[in-house]
Amino acid sequence: MHPALAVIFLTLFSGGGFGLMALTALVNDFQIDGGLNPLQTMIALIISMAFVSIGLLSSTAHLANPKNAWRAFTRWRTSWLAREGVFAVMYYPFAFLYLVWVFFTGGTHDAIGLILANLAAIIGLITIFCQGMIYAVLRTMRQWNTPLVPANFYAMGLAIGATWLAAIQQLTTGQPDPALIGIAAALLVATGVLKGIYYFWISRPGGPTIRTATGFNRFSVRILDQGHTFGTFLTEEFGHQLPPAKAKSIKILMYLIAIILPLALLAIALWGQVAALAVLAALLVLTGFGVERWLFFIEAQHVVNLYHGRQQC
Amino acid sequence: MRLGLVIDLDTCVGCHACAVACKEWNTSGTTGALTDYHPYGAEPSGVWFNRIRHFELGDYPHNKTINFPMSCMHCENAECVTVCPTGASYKRAEDGIVLVDQNKCMGCNYCSWACPYGARELDRASGTMKKCTLCVDRIYDMEIPEEERQPACVLTCPAHARMFGDFDDPESPVSRAVRERGGYELMPELNYQPSNKYLPPRPTRPIPTENLKKRGIRQVKDWIHQAVTR
Amino acid sequence: MTDQVTVFEDHKNQRIEYSTCYMCACRCGIKVTIENDNVRFIQGNRNHPTNQGVLCAKGSAGIMKQNSPGKLRQPLLRKPGTARGAGEFVPISWEKALDMLTARLQNIRSTNPDKLAFFTGRDQMQALTGLWAQQFGTLNWAAHGGFCSVNMAAGGLYMMPFAFWEFGDPDWDRTKYFMLWGVAEDHASNPIKIALEKLKRRGAKFVAINPARTGYQAIADEWVAIKPGTDGLLALSMVHVLLERELFDWDFLIRYTNAPFLIIDAPGSSDHGLFWRNAAGHPQVWDMCTQNFADGMEAGSNPSLSLLDKHITPAGRTVRTVMSLMIEKYLDASYAPEQVSKITGVPAETIERLALEMAQVAFEETIEIACEWTDWTGRKHDKFIGRPVSMYAMRGVSAHSNGFQSARAIHLLQILLGTIDCPGGFCAKPPYPKPVPPPVKPAQHSAPNQPLSSSPLGYPTGPEDLVIDEQGNPKRIDKAFSWETPLSIQGLLHMVITNAHNYDPYRIDTLILFMANMAWNSSMNTAEIQKMLVAKDSEDGEYRIPFIVVSDAYHSEMVNFADLILPDTTYLERYDTLSMLDRPISETDAVCDSIRHPILKTNRDVRAWQEVLVDLAGRLQFPAFVHENGEKRYQDYKDFIVNYQKEPGIGFLSGWRGKNGDQHLRGEPNPRQWEAYIDHQSFFQHHLPLNIRYFRFVNQAYLDFAVEAAYIPKAEPMFIEIYSEPLQRFRLAGEGVYDGPRPTQPADRERLAKYFDPLPFWYEPLEQQRVSAEEYPFFAVNQRPMMMYHSWDSQNAWLRQIIAQNFLYMNRQRGEHLGIADKSWVWVESHNGKIRVQVKLIEGCQEDTVWTWNAIGKQSGAWALSPDAPEATRGFLMNHLISELLPEKTGERRLTNSDPITGQAAWYDLRVRIYPAAPGEEGTWPTFPTIKPLPDEPRPVDRLRYHTHPPVNLKS
Ligand SMILES: Nc1nc2c(c(=O)[nH]1)N[C@H]1C(S)=C(S)[C@@H](COP(=O)(O)OP(=O)(O)OC[C@H]3O[C@@H](n4cnc5c(=O)[nH]c(N)nc54)[C@H](O)[C@@H]3O)O[C@H]1N2
Ligand SMILES: Nc1nc2c(c(=O)[nH]1)N[C@H]1C(S)=C(S)[C@@H](COP(=O)(O)OP(=O)(O)OC[C@H]3O[C@@H](n4cnc5c(=O)[nH]c(N)nc54)[C@H](O)[C@@H]3O)O[C@H]1N2
Ligand code: SF4
Ligand code: SF4
Ligand code: SF4
Ligand code: SF4
Ligand code: SF4
Ligand SMILES: [Mo]
Repeated sequence: MHPALAVIFLTLFSGGGFGLMALTALVNDFQIDGGLNPLQTMIALIISMAFVSIGLLSSTAHLANPKNAWRAFTRWRTSWLAREGVFAVMYYPFAFLYLVWVFFTGGTHDAIGLILANLAAIIGLITIFCQGMIYAVLRTMRQWNTPLVPANFYAMGLAIGATWLAAIQQLTTGQPDPALIGIAAALLVATGVLKGIYYFWISRPGGPTIRTATGFNRFSVRILDQGHTFGTFLTEEFGHQLPPAKAKSIKILMYLIAIILPLALLAIALWGQVAALAVLAALLVLTGFGVERWLFFIEAQHVVNLYHGRQQC
Repeated sequence: MRLGLVIDLDTCVGCHACAVACKEWNTSGTTGALTDYHPYGAEPSGVWFNRIRHFELGDYPHNKTINFPMSCMHCENAECVTVCPTGASYKRAEDGIVLVDQNKCMGCNYCSWACPYGARELDRASGTMKKCTLCVDRIYDMEIPEEERQPACVLTCPAHARMFGDFDDPESPVSRAVRERGGYELMPELNYQPSNKYLPPRPTRPIPTENLKKRGIRQVKDWIHQAVTR
Repeated sequence: MTDQVTVFEDHKNQRIEYSTCYMCACRCGIKVTIENDNVRFIQGNRNHPTNQGVLCAKGSAGIMKQNSPGKLRQPLLRKPGTARGAGEFVPISWEKALDMLTARLQNIRSTNPDKLAFFTGRDQMQALTGLWAQQFGTLNWAAHGGFCSVNMAAGGLYMMPFAFWEFGDPDWDRTKYFMLWGVAEDHASNPIKIALEKLKRRGAKFVAINPARTGYQAIADEWVAIKPGTDGLLALSMVHVLLERELFDWDFLIRYTNAPFLIIDAPGSSDHGLFWRNAAGHPQVWDMCTQNFADGMEAGSNPSLSLLDKHITPAGRTVRTVMSLMIEKYLDASYAPEQVSKITGVPAETIERLALEMAQVAFEETIEIACEWTDWTGRKHDKFIGRPVSMYAMRGVSAHSNGFQSARAIHLLQILLGTIDCPGGFCAKPPYPKPVPPPVKPAQHSAPNQPLSSSPLGYPTGPEDLVIDEQGNPKRIDKAFSWETPLSIQGLLHMVITNAHNYDPYRIDTLILFMANMAWNSSMNTAEIQKMLVAKDSEDGEYRIPFIVVSDAYHSEMVNFADLILPDTTYLERYDTLSMLDRPISETDAVCDSIRHPILKTNRDVRAWQEVLVDLAGRLQFPAFVHENGEKRYQDYKDFIVNYQKEPGIGFLSGWRGKNGDQHLRGEPNPRQWEAYIDHQSFFQHHLPLNIRYFRFVNQAYLDFAVEAAYIPKAEPMFIEIYSEPLQRFRLAGEGVYDGPRPTQPADRERLAKYFDPLPFWYEPLEQQRVSAEEYPFFAVNQRPMMMYHSWDSQNAWLRQIIAQNFLYMNRQRGEHLGIADKSWVWVESHNGKIRVQVKLIEGCQEDTVWTWNAIGKQSGAWALSPDAPEATRGFLMNHLISELLPEKTGERRLTNSDPITGQAAWYDLRVRIYPAAPGEEGTWPTFPTIKPLPDEPRPVDRLRYHTHPPVNLKS
């Protein structure tokens, strides 16, 4: 698949934004380590909404005919993309009202505050699910057509949320919060593991081959000519490929940036009481998962490539 | 009704006539114009609904070349339609044709991701998704002579390797061809249930030569002269 | 069904016109929908005999040809003071251009008409251009046949009453076994495709003999991967198998061929190998019943094939039958499958099996059509007996320097099987069959201000028919009908520029080229030819070819080398005839011709070339084009076509003749003939009744019909000449014993003695005889891509998306063995030059062969493509490697790289070696300077959104 920045940003930022919302609600629900203070809550909410907005706006950049974007909500009965749109938009009023409520009342965890927070969080979590399902329902791409995709989206969204929350907490207080850091670390490790499972899963051959694609199951099948000298929409959209060796090194890099370094930084932040390190960790996580998202797209092998000569997808 | 095409791989010579006829008809058709990019430049490209690929089976000298036209299969289980968020993509209940409403499409490409057969191409100029319409504007145009109310690609195919018809009617030529010739669908494992079917190459008729061989070789002097009147 | 009726488009705003496609020489019928003076849709005409409603990619892409930015717009003159080929032109008015040209031509015509060389490419109106040249009085005219497929025409017409190429077709509806030799696309593009499907539906077997497996060969039941240039040998090996098992049609050979004719066996004498003729000049046979000699041309004898015997004539001369020669020749072990397998690369088992399969179908699966017919002897038959094996062959056979004899070898196979013009066999297309060879001799003399006595082209039957001077030197600029290539019945277009440049045999004044891209894909040795086109005489400083006039419709590479460019219309803008006097569109069962007429208005200052020719003919006072008083006889082309008569009642068009348009084939001119054609969808079709459908070369009713229609001069049987006496005459001349003109140069003598075998035989192609197979291990050949027509489709915005670059295709296993990677760049070297190209490794390629698509490579800047178009940067021409001359041999003049008999350009004799390019060496080589755009040439657009009306969107 073509790793379009617009779609990478959409899933990365909106996922992170919803993750942040979810963790904000969680921490305030259970008043973990005393919960977040209004300022922290408001910063978290603003960043969450900013992330979601960055994601949604960049997604419209992906549209070739954005004037019809409003129609994208109409087919929520069948389309996960429409559902994502609907829920993403539904998230805003609750998140915004919660922000207003906290601003005017400071009520981060009174009844109304919590109702608003949890509604926003749940809608956000549903949106992440929808986002995952956009990809997971596609039988045309084996690398996406798995429940591991929404699972991974959750893990990453929440991990981003947790690291950013930890960073907000440290920035505003100058002190690390072991609970938040612990949650972030746990989510990062979980993401690493899940992602590892995913990579293992997609590395096994499977899915349609050039033989089933053409129906000639008893012969070797090779492309002679794809019927056009230059690229078409199909080759531009789906033709991308990453040599395995390169993929491997990028994955290692991704693990380093998204998980190992942030874990180390968080640990140092915790012991060394350096607030800035937590912020750095949060930025690294976002960047690292950006790389992950790029890999997620470029590694998806659409079956149409079989008709352009690829042996297996 | 379930309209669609049958492609005969036994006779397709890979001439691209169907692809060009399709382009020609549809550029002034219901979803026209079909934009061409850099038509006279370094990397000419454009929007087509029908593309011909060429494959080779087996290893030399036991190889066979297969010419392989592909357009929208008008799938029964058309995921391209299910996934479309705007409702621009739709499958007509009355005849199974899958179309894109150009006034509704927002050009998100999602449907093309869902299509296993590469049937959808985005037109960058209009920003909308385009695809084979099964020449809906020919087959239902009552002002076109009846025998020509066929898709442009079917009408033009010099090798008569394309057939159009109703798969719901077991006696239609397409249904019969599929039955008699072992017509198959592409990537059945994905369960899109494409309407279009492909007919595999026919087996070759063996020609007996044993008797002639048995006749053996004689000296010319043993041939019997035949008297033939001029 | 949708309930509400959707109006998809406004048909009232559209009009429908029927015409004829021009994207290739197949000439399919088209139905064109026009909307707002733009083409909405071009589709096949369902009623048309050629294409029956279908249309190929090129035909459908006619819209983009009509809209090409590469169209010429106005007459242009090379800018005074600029060099030829520099691409600087200034507009000139038609009046000035024609005045200028008339003056020049007038001068040539009144001094030495041969100083005009008028050559045409894939001309669809040779009847007119030939008539024009004949009236002008120049010997120097020919069309593209010489570099195209003259071997197929000559190979057939010197042996049979018709031939492959446009002269005959298999009886597609009945044949049960079809063998295709060396065909990728052919001129019968759509008919072959239609037919192959029919064959497959009927369960007929289709065998394809070809070093490459694409296109038609892809769908063949059996693919025979032959080494190029060896088809003749393969055919003769099958002949060997058939003879060995006595599997041939006795009746057919005795009745319809010269197999029983007696030949003088007197080596060294001037009539050795000629027929032993009686006082009437007829060849004689040995009658089995009377046990005496008899007249071979008379009915009622019982000729013996005298398989091995020799006879002694009353005068004591030894004579023997053609059949006995054949047996002696072809039963030789050198034709045995085991031997032949080594040279052709086809397994011996396959050769034998294919021969036997054909015999099985021909003799055991015979078909009969009940029908009364009478043969030339007056004998009545109640049925046509068909041996349903058929063959077709084209350039894979013809484009070799042994193609003439190879075509004959394939015909011999058909003849032995008795499959000529019979149900299920290989059948003639009217105006064929014709006598063997057709009774027209080439004009031999020209004189100032006089038309030639006959056409410049014809069929020599002996050395006295050559067009040479007293010293035996060629009289024509292409050296056609000279000792070098005596039977060059269609000229040698590929030699014109080289010979004119070398003043060999003389310097010409003006070269007119009509639709031939001789500066590029249509010349061998393109780079050298471009140099010759601009070379100057060291003495007078003039160009060696002083004046070049080009008629083209588009900005081709050749246009760039013109001194005067006369822009043609497109096929949708003019009147054209596809005439019975030319190569019509007839079917095996019907006489057909057709027209084009203007269905779009021209929006440029262009004129149809035929209008220009008729106009010039009047200005130059050609006798056939003016009245006694010098007034023009014809107003324009349209008028000419209606009123010109070749003989009473016979004109260019055979339909709707007579004052009232109610006569066909023959009749007085009909002033409304064009309208009648237009009313009948632009074609005329006359079905032959069943009794004159088969065995027409000896079918009395057909012979009478053909005389009436002026296809043949006399209603006499046209026997098949397995043994060719004309060839033997030339051979005798080569041996120095002929009683008539004889060559003096050793090279000519050798070639005549060696290659003019009166019976088909095989020899290694000439270039290959001189080039080491170890040094150059690969054969290199071309194929026509189905969606491109030579050079002129790269300007087509749709077609070039399908193919804008060609690869050198190579057998995968062979490539891997040589360490050549798929898609890598390699050097390809021949004895004549080298090119750098990109390789594609495939399965469907004989292991000693490489091939590519023809004419994809372009010169940068031509055809209004942007200079960095892939056609110029990555596409390539094989032509750079091919030479128009054979490799030099000491003590010999340079000889044409052509068939030594017909002068057919030997495009496919090429041998090459191939090695990887150095890392970083990419892109095609050689490259040529970018051609400048012509005045007013539009800049290429970046986006094209062609449509004729706003779309009617369907709502979901
Ligand atoms: N689409 C399209 N149609 C065309 C044309 C075009 O440019 N494009 N050109 C027209 C013209 S001018 C012509 S002359 C005709 C020519 O039509 P074809 O006769 O089909 O000509 P080629 O494409 O040269 O095909 C030659 C075939 O012979 C094979 N071959 C080469 N050498 C040998 C050999 O030694 N033995 C055998 N058995 N096979 C061999 C090649 O692989 C190739 O398949 O096509 C006409 N039709
Ligand atoms: N290497 C290699 N070379 C080959 C061959 C091969 O197989 N291999 N094949 C050979 C054969 S068989 C042939 S026939 C030749 C092709 O021989 P050509 O006939 O020379 O080929 P084209 O490239 O079609 O060139 C025809 C010219 O006619 C022009 N033209 C097109 N339409 C019109 C019109 O309406 N009016 C006028 N006046 N001009 C028009 C085109 O623009 C073009 O410049 O190529 C030969 N060259
Ligand atoms: S082929 Fe593709 S576009 Fe057509 S119906 Fe099936 S899934 Fe949809
Ligand atoms: S591109 Fe258009 S048709 Fe396709 S899914 Fe998006 S809105 Fe629907
Ligand atoms: S049915 Fe019509 S739209 Fe579809 S491929 Fe054929 S010509 Fe094109
Ligand atoms: S037109 Fe017919 S033969 Fe040609 S590519 Fe299309 S399906 Fe095949
Ligand atoms: S074969 Fe194609 S290009 Fe040639 S005349 Fe027919 S439709 Fe036109
Ligand atoms: Mo040709």
